[in-house]
Amino acid sequence: MNTTSSTPETVTLHKVETSPNHVHHHVESPSCHLVTFDRSGSSANIFDAAALTELDHLLTVLQDLPPTTRVIFSSAKPRIFIAGADLKSLQAALQANDSDAEIEHYLQLGQSVFQKIAELPATTIAAIHGACVGGGFEMTLACDYRFASDDKATKIGLPETQLGILPAWGGSTRLPRMIGTPKALTVILKGKPYPAKRAKKLGIVDRIVPKEYLLDVARKADVRAKHRNLQWHKHNPIVTRIACQVARRKIPARTLQHYPALDTAIKTIRKAAHGSVESGYAEERQAFLKLAHTVTSKQLIRLFFLRESAGKANRKLTVNLTPIQRTAVVGAGIMGTGIAYWLSARSYPVYWNDIAVEAISRGMKHLNNEYQKAVKRRIMTRHKAAQGLNRVYPRCGMPQTKAADLVIEAAVEKMELKKRIFRGLDESSSPDTILATNTSALSVTELAEGLQHPERVIGLHFFNPVSRMPLVEVIAGDRTNDRSIQRAVQFVSSIGKTPVVSADRPGFIVNRILVPYMLEAAHLVEAGEDPKQIDRAMLDFGMPMGPLRLSDEVGLDIALDVAQTLADAFPERVTVPPRLTQMVEKGLLGRKSGQGFYRYHKGKPVDESSSGSIASTARNSISLQERMVYLMINEAARCLEEGVTNHAKWIDLAMVLGTGFAPFTGGPLRLCDTQGARRWLTIGVTCADEIDSRFSPSSLLIQHSQETSTFYED
Amino acid sequence: MRTHPLVIVDGVRTPFCKMGTDLAGVDAEELGRIAVNALLSETGIDPGIVDEVIFGCVGQPPHAPNLARVIALNAGLPNSVRAVTVQRNCASGFEALTQAAEKLAAGSGEVFIVGGAESMSRAPFLFSDRARKNWTQLFKQRSLGGRLSAMRRFRGNDFVPRPALKLALQDPICGLAMGDTAEVLARDFKITRDQQDHFALQSHARALAAQEKLAEEIRPVFPGLGVKDLVERDNGVRTPDQLKKIGRLRPVFDTRTGSVTAGNASQITDGAVALLVVSEAVAEKYDLPVLGTLREWHYSGCEPERMGLGPVYAIHEVLRKTGIALSDIDLVEVNEAFAVQLLAVAQALESQAFARNHLGQDRAVGSLDTDRLNVNGGAIALGHPVGATGARLALTTLKELHRRGQNRALVSACIGGGQGAALYLERNPS
Repeated sequence: MNTTSSTPETVTLHKVETSPNHVHHHVESPSCHLVTFDRSGSSANIFDAAALTELDHLLTVLQDLPPTTRVIFSSAKPRIFIAGADLKSLQAALQANDSDAEIEHYLQLGQSVFQKIAELPATTIAAIHGACVGGGFEMTLACDYRFASDDKATKIGLPETQLGILPAWGGSTRLPRMIGTPKALTVILKGKPYPAKRAKKLGIVDRIVPKEYLLDVARKADVRAKHRNLQWHKHNPIVTRIACQVARRKIPARTLQHYPALDTAIKTIRKAAHGSVESGYAEERQAFLKLAHTVTSKQLIRLFFLRESAGKANRKLTVNLTPIQRTAVVGAGIMGTGIAYWLSARSYPVYWNDIAVEAISRGMKHLNNEYQKAVKRRIMTRHKAAQGLNRVYPRCGMPQTKAADLVIEAAVEKMELKKRIFRGLDESSSPDTILATNTSALSVTELAEGLQHPERVIGLHFFNPVSRMPLVEVIAGDRTNDRSIQRAVQFVSSIGKTPVVSADRPGFIVNRILVPYMLEAAHLVEAGEDPKQIDRAMLDFGMPMGPLRLSDEVGLDIALDVAQTLADAFPERVTVPPRLTQMVEKGLLGRKSGQGFYRYHKGKPVDESSSGSIASTARNSISLQERMVYLMINEAARCLEEGVTNHAKWIDLAMVLGTGFAPFTGGPLRLCDTQGARRWLTIGVTCADEIDSRFSPSSLLIQHSQETSTFYED
Repeated sequence: MRTHPLVIVDGVRTPFCKMGTDLAGVDAEELGRIAVNALLSETGIDPGIVDEVIFGCVGQPPHAPNLARVIALNAGLPNSVRAVTVQRNCASGFEALTQAAEKLAAGSGEVFIVGGAESMSRAPFLFSDRARKNWTQLFKQRSLGGRLSAMRRFRGNDFVPRPALKLALQDPICGLAMGDTAEVLARDFKITRDQQDHFALQSHARALAAQEKLAEEIRPVFPGLGVKDLVERDNGVRTPDQLKKIGRLRPVFDTRTGSVTAGNASQITDGAVALLVVSEAVAEKYDLPVLGTLREWHYSGCEPERMGLGPVYAIHEVLRKTGIALSDIDLVEVNEAFAVQLLAVAQALESQAFARNHLGQDRAVGSLDTDRLNVNGGAIALGHPVGATGARLALTTLKELHRRGQNRALVSACIGGGQGAALYLERNPS
């Protein structure tokens, strides 16, 4: 599917422009024809109806070529072969009255065009350089050969299931026939893009060629014979059936329930992998239509676009932003080390300091381990790891700010200490240097007070572990100027993280919404609920980890610290359960101390039998799950109300990326929209009446409920 | 004096560690990278303004030909910054400095990172020429029979390695080991074992007392590839307790009648030094601090058998060019290759006869009184990573001038193969 920004034009699925110009045909010699995809007015090639139709017309010409000729498919774009189907039009089609017919037509169009390619008498070769995903890859599956460039830009795969749908332009039918059902299931269910080397290993490309020679090799390669399907002993209904069973069993039941595309894809592949191609096509279409209408798919596609736009659309970019070239990180704790690793691995020089030589030394040791781990996991080569490590300039003592365009402070969360550091940074750095704090709870505005240049002070809230968490909250203090925010947003995008801009309010977005929910879990424990049941309720909802397990992972002392900040800021609704304070006082800090809400042995959880909720005093008519989810929705609504961010979508994106909030719901506010504000208001009112005022609904929730309006316009 | 003084902005070095100890896991180019990395982090300069990196190294690792270029790129200097490795044996570190000054005068650059790096721990072991031939024959064979017959040509001693370090420390002209040339000086100048040991003890005592001062120029080597734990300090310096047995050590080179021992010779050491040096105009433009200025220097040649006397000729020439008397120099640093060699240099400088016979003048050059000579100890206590030593002498001396509030320094070293080097440095900007 489309992995890049889609084109501005709005082409519906069935209407075709009068003179499209996306596919070019060049007769190189009587025996060699070159078809070049070059979508006009766009940096990406995609298959919308127009492009497909144009290709279709061209194929009617190519049909008459004798078997001795060859047809080469290539792309004129520098980094993209074909980025897949046109998701924007698909989204639009779903809104239409007769959406089923329209989508079916679109699917049939793609299937028939690719079938024509498969039936060409000439030898067909896809010369793949750049992203070749989704529908783009399905097109190449119809070719006899796939040659891929060894370039980094070349990524091949079928990401459809990641978006809650499945390959339906022959992908689910052809791939199993080509590489066998077990491998095809891996490619389709994981939805990962593969670099050329991995693709070759999987058997989805035939040759790897330097990109400069790609066309030349395609022209000259000795490939007269048509590709044949796998031999029967490798590809037969028995293998397929077993592989499908195994694949299904490997997926946790909750995941299957939350992501219907996985189950549907397995079933479809099982049927489409054998028998006639036409019946496979029909299975694909039927399954696709079913999935495209699910809420899950709609939300996943929305999130996909949202995430893509986050780097650009948070604020309008002005021209002439000085790009960040060199960075400095202050502090060598866990966060400092994580950030230093991430930045240096992404080509930024990092001047890194800590006051204590032991701290920076330990940090360097951990950093080195991170790189060695990356080499072991084949994330990078030994040389790349050495280069990354060499980009770090460790130092014991004061930060080196002269050389840096961006300083990220990651010291201990103490306002006085941070203020002292920032006074030093303010004096020693050029006024154009962005000074960022990686705080999770302290006020950026307060931190900037009294500095000569408070306008360049900003918050960059990375999440732990930095290498795995895709979100960075960009916090704008009251005096932070737009330019600094834009530079920070651009920087965060450049390191492959998703930026979400937040106003400088306690807890920003993620912690503000997450902490009341985690505290609620602790309240429930205090009231006698079984921790396992509480966590299970939220796992069932689709959270990646239960709130109590999460507290144990974060460390109860750290959780308490953040909770206290929020309790101070919102005393009327955030109270720290005494139990949590007691646990921290007793040294029960979670996984790191061996005991929190759960017990741990050498850092691994000990399996405990459920104690059951014998003495629960907390139950009412509302389920645990509803109660905890409600708190998140309600707090999210308050964030929007207070202007922590300017649109509901940023809150939803931050929650999904920052906490793993069930992605298929689209985020807390989208969930509220889909299920209706009234439902959640009722839950809130009931809880507020029966339990505590901390459940009092926000005025925005009440308003949407009364006016039956929604957080989103669409 | 020279028309284009070279401004030394700042410098740092790794700890100097005895061969086979804390830094033995790190190759020379990595030691150099660590030093340049620390220098960039210390000075905070934009690496893009550097014109060239010049590094001294005596035994360049075979896997890093042009070691300076490897250091430059690994330390994060842009691809456009050129780099050259220089080799003048024990004065390679000086050579890096003076080449920068010469390039500056010639208009080939104004900002240089210079220094030296040496891993004596990792000097390679070589095969004998016969072994090389046998291996080559073996590699050429394709058939099993051919291989077997090629293998039969090997003899047991083909597998005895020849340490490159040992080869490098032997003079190719006169065939004497460096230690043997020191024994020549002991005989020439009638310097006793006791005198040598006494000097060695003084070097250790001074280095021990100067630990805090030396720490100012040292930047720790952090754990990483080849380094398990933090390395913070030089590890060659011995306490008086550990030195009790120094008189009982056996002579290494002339085992029967000799006097040069492992205790009164320089240590074999790993380490690297990096200095940022610029033109006066650049220092002013970027408002850089000034550690000192290189104003004059000279390299002179002498007999390979008496290479230890090299400093006498070089110092004499530098003083002549500057017109400054030796007594007007505030600090003198002469590399302690061997205690006897340094004592011989001191005697020769004070000797009218030596001046008449070898320097072509009637009066002696002057006296090297001990309270301004190697005040913080020398290579006997701190070690002598050959390619890096020159740069360390300049760095240590300039830092000491600052601490003492003095202005003039002379640094010098003898050079294997029969040469001497001397540099005249000033603290004050002109």
